[in-house]
Amino acid sequence: MLLGLQLAGVSSKGMTIQERKSAVKLSADVAMAGARGSTNWTRALIANLSKQERNKAILRCILGKDYEKLTKPCQYHSWKNPRSKQILRRSVIRVCSRKRNVLRAPATSVLAKVLVKKRTQVLKSLLPGGESLYGFYLLDETLDYVISLRVQVDLMQRLLKASETSNLG
Amino acid sequence: MGLLGPQQPRGEQAIATKMSSRRNRISDEEINELISKLQSLLPESRRRNIGRASASKLLKETCSYIKSLHREVDDLSDRLSDLIATMDSNSPQAEIIRSLLRS
Repeated sequence: MLLGLQLAGVSSKGMTIQERKSAVKLSADVAMAGARGSTNWTRALIANLSKQERNKAILRCILGKDYEKLTKPCQYHSWKNPRSKQILRRSVIRVCSRKRNVLRAPATSVLAKVLVKKRTQVLKSLLPGGESLYGFYLLDETLDYVISLRVQVDLMQRLLKASETSNLG
Repeated sequence: MGLLGPQQPRGEQAIATKMSSRRNRISDEEINELISKLQSLLPESRRRNIGRASASKLLKETCSYIKSLHREVDDLSDRLSDLIATMDSNSPQAEIIRSLLRS
């Protein structure tokens, strides 16, 4: 991440606030994706960042040969997903409706299905590359992404603390 | 575990077996484990140790957690970039950071 900051020239005085912040964020994201390696979301993240030409050079520099690996198109296991989504939904809804009054169960499960569908859409929009995933794989990627996000936050907090402390000392 | 009970998916699983090789089937245990792991990550679950949540609740918690993490990264980016900007270029602190950036 520090390499990213350096390359983005963050310490240059000519930058606007917005530019500097974008550079910091870019470094953080690239570091996160690079550290994690190849997953659906890291590829999607890198692809999104690469859309801007000026980012490409920085990305190449930071990631080195990993950049090629992460941008190569990859065949994902999409064929088994539709079924797993149903199994997943059914298994979790069953746990939920079991606790309720049996007579109400049919209506509950219809509502639950609608909510699940709606919220799954939200999750897909939050997760890089999530649009193409279903069920089990969506949750698997989500788990991975959440863990990496937490690491990213931790890293940035430490960096901030270290800088602040050195400023005071 | 009796959590899932008898279920129709068995018919679907049979179809899955015919269409694909055995090792590619996703088992119920795997799904359960995944859901538990995800739930244990969520802050609310950790605080109150709720029993197994419903699918929609899990999704809702996950989405809001991801959003809050995104906000935090955004905030930290702001603060980091402010910090870098306000550092006097001749101060010893700036020199430390610069040497960190160089290494």
